[in-house]
Amino acid sequence: MISAMDVVGQRFEEGKLYVPQMLAAAKTMAAGVEVIKPLLKGDAASAGKMIMGTVSGDLHDIGKNLVIMMIESAGFEVIDLGVDVPVEKFLAAIEENPDVNLVGCSALLTTTLESLKNTVEAINKCANRGSFKIMVGGGPITEEFARKIGADAYTEDAYEAAQAAKEISEER
Amino acid sequence: MIIIGEKINGAIPSIQKAITDRDEELIKARAVLQAEAGADFIDVHASRKEQETEILGWMIETVQSVTDVPICIDSPDPQVCVEAIKYCRRPGLINSVSMEKNKTEIVFPVIADTQWQCVALLCSDKYGIPQSVGQRMEILDEIIQAADKYGISHDRLHIDPLVEAIATNEASFEMFSQCCKEIREKYPDLHITSGLSNISFGLPSRKTMNLAFLGKAVHAGMDSAILDPSNKDMRGMILAAEGKPCEEKYQDMQKVALGEQEPDLTKEYGRELAGMKYAAACLDGEDDFCLEYIEAFEEGEFGVKK
Repeated sequence: MISAMDVVGQRFEEGKLYVPQMLAAAKTMAAGVEVIKPLLKGDAASAGKMIMGTVSGDLHDIGKNLVIMMIESAGFEVIDLGVDVPVEKFLAAIEENPDVNLVGCSALLTTTLESLKNTVEAINKCANRGSFKIMVGGGPITEEFARKIGADAYTEDAYEAAQAAKEISEER
Repeated sequence: MIIIGEKINGAIPSIQKAITDRDEELIKARAVLQAEAGADFIDVHASRKEQETEILGWMIETVQSVTDVPICIDSPDPQVCVEAIKYCRRPGLINSVSMEKNKTEIVFPVIADTQWQCVALLCSDKYGIPQSVGQRMEILDEIIQAADKYGISHDRLHIDPLVEAIATNEASFEMFSQCCKEIREKYPDLHITSGLSNISFGLPSRKTMNLAFLGKAVHAGMDSAILDPSNKDMRGMILAAEGKPCEEKYQDMQKVALGEQEPDLTKEYGRELAGMKYAAACLDGEDDFCLEYIEAFEEGEFGVKK
């Protein structure tokens, strides 16, 4: 199923599939995972753990949700903090999950780029910052901006995000 | 139908560049284009955080140098909206407030004893983007209470019930039309508006979905919209939905969108009619994941492939 989702993600990136088709595929996969989960008896190692949210002041969730679906499909456990997430909530989630490998912050509005910057800066001050990577994404964000605010990775779309997550988890 | 022209928005790359270069010509051209196409308000959005009020001021003055059409001041920051009022020569529209933070308390007192109008979104701190009609109506009641407190008459408010993408929420239009119905019953004098292009996010031939939504939404009671007034198809669809004289093409498209007529594929605009049928099925929640719509597009039944 994971390799099938890889194909879906790739075609989406190439513009050959549209948002609802990717959604249908991801929901199908989630239903499939539910069926086989009891058979795995907990010995299927998770690829890693991710905390994900849309930053404070921004209510957009479509991009964030697509990224979550693709990253879950790649075998990660994802903690979804939702939209309009205050900095403190990101920090609390990181503290509660010391085993987190990735923190993802999403922003769609040009007017919430400031909020994204503040969020990443605060997360960069975490005591266990060395044990996880920060990924950012969303409409107005560029690679350059991501670097400038101190994020580890920027990805263009959900497929790229899942690829980057896999690479990061393999580096561990 | 009240038309709020959307073409001077800093989220559009060419407009953002014009802002950076302080290029008045593009802004003026867009203002004239929309005024001549019959816009009732010209929306002005800087899409910037730094010096937003000053930039808006420059944009507003540039627009006003070529047209008398009132301005729609567009910013997520209510403080910026009220500060930009001083640049406007005549009362316009504030876009927007909601029950988030204390937006209504910043904007409503300032426009209380004026003729300014205001867009109000049905979202709140408590619910975010609410997932039921009941919650949206609850937010509306709070907005009305705040407006009544300042003596702002209902015909100065444009309620945006929020349109979510049909690609990710199949109940999106059903919720929108139900909201329209309840708003009309409870507060008949309110205007109902929407930034309608959200509906088609993530789909091919977005234009097809936008037109079908426009036709069905006007039928459901929407009487204001944020769109491109220079778009001939949009104008045609509005006329058809309002039952006003227009080209037969738009009358037929409207009938198909409402399910009153099957598409006659032998007509020269048969493909547009087919598109209306597929789009309407998505909006009515009869096409899971819009898969039939996408397939019909892929097979060339409507729209233009890139």
